[in-house]
Amino acid sequence: MKLLPCPLNGLRNISEFTYGGEYHPMPDHRTSSTRDWAEYVFFHNNAAGIVTEWWCHTASSFWFLAERNTITDEIIRTFKADEIYQHRVEFEALAPGNDS
Amino acid sequence: MAILEPSSVLRRSPLNRRHLQSHGLFKKIGENLLVEHYGDDDRIAEEYKQAQVLSICDLCTLPRIGFKGAGALAWLKSQNITLPELPNTTTQQNNGGLAAKLSEQEVLILSDIFALSQDVNNLSSAADIEHQDCDQKTYVLPRGDSHCWLAVTGIEAAEMFSKICAIDLRTHKFSIGSVAQTSVAKTNAVVIRHDLGSIPCFYILSDISGTEFLWDCLLDAMVEYKGYPVGVNALQSLITEK
Repeated sequence: MKLLPCPLNGLRNISEFTYGGEYHPMPDHRTSSTRDWAEYVFFHNNAAGIVTEWWCHTASSFWFLAERNTITDEIIRTFKADEIYQHRVEFEALAPGNDS
Repeated sequence: MAILEPSSVLRRSPLNRRHLQSHGLFKKIGENLLVEHYGDDDRIAEEYKQAQVLSICDLCTLPRIGFKGAGALAWLKSQNITLPELPNTTTQQNNGGLAAKLSEQEVLILSDIFALSQDVNNLSSAADIEHQDCDQKTYVLPRGDSHCWLAVTGIEAAEMFSKICAIDLRTHKFSIGSVAQTSVAKTNAVVIRHDLGSIPCFYILSDISGTEFLWDCLLDAMVEYKGYPVGVNALQSLITEK
């Protein structure tokens, strides 16, 4: 059984985790182009080498980030999302009729 | 004394039918019914002894509640709940209740097994009043509806768990007040060590829709150690007769 260190719960069997896809910085949704937003939502780089990925410890529903070498499958480190996200991301709705 | 029927109360355990099949006798604790013991009265002493070796008890109808959000810990402190410093640990309240910190922003509050603690009722009422404008980023989690609550007691409990749980729950590795959010019998569960008297006791909280599955898995794992279900009387006796 592979093991993954959860930043909240410690070293656990990989069967307790769910993969959440690659981490990418979110573009500003108010200024990004449709193409950039689609890139962010739908596409992965699928890079060979060290990548940052979202993982979830399913038993505690705890989402965190992991740096993993996709060539060797070595986990470099795992860390809490608040290392990157210091503030809540707000999605302010545009005023009606101002959807350009 | 009139025999209490589970159908006479609003809230029943998902294991209600199993208890009736096993001739469980119910008693009222707080507002709800729990199995007092199974079978005849002469089983009471036997169940007390069994709880010291290996037993399982259904606590599903006891009060419990959870709070989550950036403001949850501060709000609970303002309600005079003593919180643990570290995640995945518990603090016993002065009134016997238990507060388990599941993350930096989530806390689970459990009643004691005599239902003397009024924390859950008080917090539930306070949350209704104070969070109507929902500006404090504290969210109420109805753990009484979402999670079952089972207790596994006895000196053989940790060894039995080694068959169905990857976490080392032996008493010298998993101290009193520890919490493990993990997989038990392939089901997500919160395991809390909360000894009763001097006897190891592990509370298990898991998705309430899988209660019967988990109950059967635990009974199956216990067969090897001759463990079986006991009523809440046996658990209460572990505290009062220590």
